[in-house]
Amino acid sequence: METLSNIVTYSLVHATLRMSTPVVLATLAAVISRQGGITNIGIEGIMLFGAYFGFVSAWVSGNWLWGVAASVVAGVVVSAAIGIVHLKHNTHIFVIGFAMNMLALGGTRFLLQQMFNVSGALLVDKPVTLPILRLSLAERNPVTASLFSGYSLFELLAPLLVLGVWYVLYRTAAGLRLRSVGLHEPAARSAGIDVYRVKMRAILLSGVFAGIAGAHLSMGYSSMFVENMTNGRGFMALAAANFGGGNPIYAFLGCLVFGLSDSIAIRLQSTGIPAQFVLMVPYLVTVAVLTSAMIGHSRRSDAARIARKLTEEIQGKEIRGKANEKGKGS
Amino acid sequence: MKRINPASIFNFTSIFNFIFSLLLPFVLGAIVVALLGHDPQEALRELFRGAFVGRLSLGTTLQKWVPILLTGLAFCITSQVRYFNIGVEGCFYMGALFSAGAGFLITGLPWYFHIPSCFFAGVLAGSVWAAIPGVLRVYWQVNESCSTIMFNYVAIQFAGFMIVNPWSAKSAASQTMPILPSAALSRLMPPSRANSGLFIALALYAAVFWIIRKTRLGFKMRSTGANPFFTDYMGIDSRRVVVLATALSGAVGGFAGSVETMGVYGNIIDGFSGWLAFDGMLAALISKNNLWLLPVYSFMIAALKTGALGMERFTGVPKALIDTIIAILIIFLSMDNLFRFRFHFHFPRRKSEEKAR
Repeated sequence: METLSNIVTYSLVHATLRMSTPVVLATLAAVISRQGGITNIGIEGIMLFGAYFGFVSAWVSGNWLWGVAASVVAGVVVSAAIGIVHLKHNTHIFVIGFAMNMLALGGTRFLLQQMFNVSGALLVDKPVTLPILRLSLAERNPVTASLFSGYSLFELLAPLLVLGVWYVLYRTAAGLRLRSVGLHEPAARSAGIDVYRVKMRAILLSGVFAGIAGAHLSMGYSSMFVENMTNGRGFMALAAANFGGGNPIYAFLGCLVFGLSDSIAIRLQSTGIPAQFVLMVPYLVTVAVLTSAMIGHSRRSDAARIARKLTEEIQGKEIRGKANEKGKGS
Repeated sequence: MKRINPASIFNFTSIFNFIFSLLLPFVLGAIVVALLGHDPQEALRELFRGAFVGRLSLGTTLQKWVPILLTGLAFCITSQVRYFNIGVEGCFYMGALFSAGAGFLITGLPWYFHIPSCFFAGVLAGSVWAAIPGVLRVYWQVNESCSTIMFNYVAIQFAGFMIVNPWSAKSAASQTMPILPSAALSRLMPPSRANSGLFIALALYAAVFWIIRKTRLGFKMRSTGANPFFTDYMGIDSRRVVVLATALSGAVGGFAGSVETMGVYGNIIDGFSGWLAFDGMLAALISKNNLWLLPVYSFMIAALKTGALGMERFTGVPKALIDTIIAILIIFLSMDNLFRFRFHFHFPRRKSEEKAR
């Protein structure tokens, strides 16, 4: 019991938000592209590029705003490349997405070696980080300080961005167009929607969010750049977007589950459970969450099962029909 | 799966496309090398020498070719049923781990029993590991491109646990105990680590080719890929076919891991793979699931990776550049109509046609 009370404390709230925010921002990118019918698997690579360029340009210029701007520009450029290759040249999104992830991994490693002559991690003396918002009123008490103060900028902005994306997707004409393209492309095209333009916009916007996620990862979540620091968060974001069925608010809740499992896992490490099992937890939780969501989802509408039932019915009738014919003949 | 018409592969535009897609990344790479202050011609020469010239180089290329070919093959198998299996890496780890376990836990067997039993352990582990997301997909429609990737991480962590704790060699580096000599595959080109797993891998490639093209299971798989509902209507349970395909794919992935353990390393080191299965997957992706092209592309990636080592050693051009070039190469190769050449021949209309209108 004592270990449990050590794990579940008030500071878990802050830890959960902290761990989930990079995934939340990436999830927004995943949600936007998913609503346009694109499983943007390159988010991982965009995040990595965003993290690198954001961190470096913030450090060089000394201002975090330039860092975020550089991340967004990097995200837009990379996602524009993905969009052009995918939409114009008919490449499967998985191919270009994975190639981009590989390019980001090799490219950032190469740039680290060439620009800073280091490999592995880039640590600098005075890293420029995103501003941390402190409430002096809450700082007096350790409990309220943990709950209400000391959040990094995007940790507070992320829930607002989630609401904003939800509003755009479900309450504006542009969002309706995007969703209609994702639901049924030929129908959207016959309704006069420029499918190429809508999809391209969705990919670019998802690049913006993935770039911001990268900036948060290297400047807010940590204050350094490490090779392959995204470490599967882009894929987790895709899982979260799937979990929410494209709805950013449900996807946000999914991210909170990941963040919670992540922060509990870190606390479990002190109880003597091997580190590898602890590190496994978020991935297993992702699969479990995805499965539970799909079990609930498939009960509601399961086209495949309906089709299979219909088939079985028809086949059953045919067999019965043949048996009847035979019976008549004899 | 769409069968590619030979005539459409070997027409002028696509050959031109292919050659230019192949050359352009190297030209870009050469420009970068020149900007870094190295001699691009020498870098290219060292790249070639590092991949092919000498027993060590050629042997290393062949050694690296085996896992890339096999993991690419594993990916191709599930692509036949339209299942996007990113989880080959996890099967690779599981296969390597369990064949290593069988390699030093089973003692007192002659090699002709020991090697198959190690392979069996690896193949079984890989196929079970791959079948779990397959079952999740067919019964609950869990998106496989998400679940398989999560399973990769779980497999890597699990292997890390086994390497560090129960099966540890208790040495400074985190690695398992070495497998017994009776479980090791023989080396082909002594200074290099190329091994007889190469021949078994090629035989496996031929077998899978035959299964997909010529057997009942292969037909079921291709039919499920083309239209699962119709396959159900024919009386074949498409769900069972998908699970079988994932298990087969995992078996091939696990086999690749076994070859790495038994032929190359002799034990497992933590993080030995370095996302090797992703190279195989990319080879499969650029060959667009054409089984004829898969060996060619996987050999090309293996040669580039091996040559990069030599290039880094002799010219100082970093290996990471080659990774970048491979990524760009894959992007260009996968693009349709990157360089499109249209020849417009305007035949003047005949007068009789004009009158007829």
